[in-house]
Amino acid sequence: MRIFTCEPEWEAMLTCIFEAFESGLGHKNIKLLLEPVGQVSFLDEYVHVDADPSKADRLSEAIVRRISYEVYTEMAYTAMAFEEDVLDNIYHVLILGFHYGPEVLRMVKFADIMRNREIRARVVREAERFREILRFHRVGNVYIAHFEPRSRVVGYLGPIFSDRMPSEFFVIVDDIHREAVIHGKNEHFYIQKLTDVEFENLLHTEEENDKYTDLWKVFFDSVAIKERANEKCQRNHFPLWARKHAVEFMR
Amino acid sequence: MYDLSNNDPLKEKLTILSDAAKYDVACTSSGVSRGGREGFLGNSVAAGVCHAFTSDGRCISLLKILMTNHCIFDCKYCKNRASNDVPRATFTPEEICTLTIEFYKRNYIEGLFLSSGVIKSPDYTMERICETLRLLRTKYRFNGYIHVKAIPGASDELIYSAGLLADRISLNMELPTQESLRKLAPNKNMKNIIGPMNRISGTIAGHRVAVGKSARMERCGINKHLVNSIFGPGVDRIEGPEGDSSLFPAANPFLYPAEKNDALLRRPFAPAGQSTQMIIGATDETDLDLIRTTQALYQSFDLKRVFFSAYIPVNEDAALPDKTAPVPLLREHRLYQADWLIRYYGFVADEILTGDNPFLDYRVDPKCFWAINHLDRFPVEINTAPVDVLLRVPGIGPTSVKRIVSARRYGSINFEMLKRMHVVLKRARFFITCNGRMFERVPMDHRYILNQLADADRRDVYQITDRNNDFRQLNLFDDLKMERA
Repeated sequence: MRIFTCEPEWEAMLTCIFEAFESGLGHKNIKLLLEPVGQVSFLDEYVHVDADPSKADRLSEAIVRRISYEVYTEMAYTAMAFEEDVLDNIYHVLILGFHYGPEVLRMVKFADIMRNREIRARVVREAERFREILRFHRVGNVYIAHFEPRSRVVGYLGPIFSDRMPSEFFVIVDDIHREAVIHGKNEHFYIQKLTDVEFENLLHTEEENDKYTDLWKVFFDSVAIKERANEKCQRNHFPLWARKHAVEFMR
Repeated sequence: MYDLSNNDPLKEKLTILSDAAKYDVACTSSGVSRGGREGFLGNSVAAGVCHAFTSDGRCISLLKILMTNHCIFDCKYCKNRASNDVPRATFTPEEICTLTIEFYKRNYIEGLFLSSGVIKSPDYTMERICETLRLLRTKYRFNGYIHVKAIPGASDELIYSAGLLADRISLNMELPTQESLRKLAPNKNMKNIIGPMNRISGTIAGHRVAVGKSARMERCGINKHLVNSIFGPGVDRIEGPEGDSSLFPAANPFLYPAEKNDALLRRPFAPAGQSTQMIIGATDETDLDLIRTTQALYQSFDLKRVFFSAYIPVNEDAALPDKTAPVPLLREHRLYQADWLIRYYGFVADEILTGDNPFLDYRVDPKCFWAINHLDRFPVEINTAPVDVLLRVPGIGPTSVKRIVSARRYGSINFEMLKRMHVVLKRARFFITCNGRMFERVPMDHRYILNQLADADRRDVYQITDRNNDFRQLNLFDDLKMERA
């Protein structure tokens, strides 16, 4: 079996799928994986694919023209997921898409479509969780938040927060994938890959606590009813992993 | 009295006034969807967003504070009653606005929940509340969610302004009967609560019709398939009896604006509806009374929610339960379940409980209890039963019903598929058949099924009633001081 691998980025992923289509080996004889590859099998042949803008463009144009724009955006959202088989799944959904057309995502009888829905739901669930628990710190005139997601959900959070605070300058930093959403006052947001220097500079913003951080802790403690204490329920709703950047739990 | 309101730091005030507000239950930011606008701060999401969870497991969605805890009223159950010696404080409108804005920008909250003790008079208090909200909406350009409490006894014009500035407006009923109110809240009376509630509801309906919506608030979609539901198709608001003008002031069902030409107030009136709250366990109302009142509130005033608050003994008084009395958390939980049955499952109050047995069975949830008492209607066949019958099976909710109905278009359903659809088989298995077969041999005996269901719920019940017990297994080495040989 030939296994095509690429960097976990949208352009590289599109190029990888393009190469897989072009290889002409038959869909059953190829597999697509994201790097880093976990366990390497000595029976298979691994082919690394580099991002190529022209090939990626050709594929995305083909998807939009021959399937639909909706399927293209759905695939882009799926590509955010932290799952081993995500690239392989996108490849198989696209094969079905080129055959059945724009209705393909509703054909749940195919296992690939079912799996795609599962992956997609996981991404949304994770992103929605961060919509709740993200905490901004004020540094000068900028509000900066750090978070550590498994999937690359920073692109999902961008529109949510620019609708919430359209006239604020804020930055949302994904510490795991080193990407950031940057939103200027009354401007469109954009997503930027962070260099090591930039990341270093942004690293200590969580130590910038002001009066309102303290006031929030005061509020958080005094609004709880002691007679109804229920730590288990609190943990169900706000699990320990989620508390890393939540100021109310930083003592 | 020791007064902290003069020259006091913000922190002190926030501690006192959030502590004073914590017994208010409603902290939801749901019911209205509104996008952000350039130059303003905030938006609103219809589903609501919870930002944090306190150590009692309740969500923090709004900055829940009182404007002041000074109060001229002397409601016996309340911590802030006039006769209590507690630290008092008052926020200035500017302070409330800054706190809301700064917390909002840091993503701590979704909006503001503003209530207040009564200073000087209900009108004066309501005026201060409106002033705060107006400042927040205009000078601070806040576009997020606001939930405001209307003060019983305040004038209609002020309640109208508050409703325009806020997203949800609520009036606390606290106790479901006039007698209990007279006993525990001598300064309040039913007329001052029901009257404004009726006018708010009429005004909301008027504003909705004016923009082309239906007069009644949106409800869970499943209700349109349920003929018996109080929110079902073709069910209208129940108006009060003609003669009883004391509770339903039919002559004037609407609120009128204080200022007609205020451009900044061109907002819908309370787009997220109104709600109320009742205290459970301070007086001797039965569960049936509470559920009937709840249903009547939904039917007559189209309330979006009725909240229940388990009474927590904070004051000593001859008219109140003993200060060591346990907080009736399980009762509150079961009442909420009954409330859900009314709002999502097409039940009516008199089906859930009857006059000769006016209390819920706390061992099992009200839906199981209803099913056990109506065994003649079971088992139902999953592959053919209509939606309203399916919805009455314990363990099957609106989401499962949707899945079942869409799946059975393409083939018959078996127990394996039900499991995958997340139907709760530990409850449903006594009441359903798939293609004529039951899950297992079950004697259709009311006592047997009750015991089985109570056993399935035992852990959940224990976690609610005894969660603060730190019982654990004895340890030979720590507790009995034994030593290793």
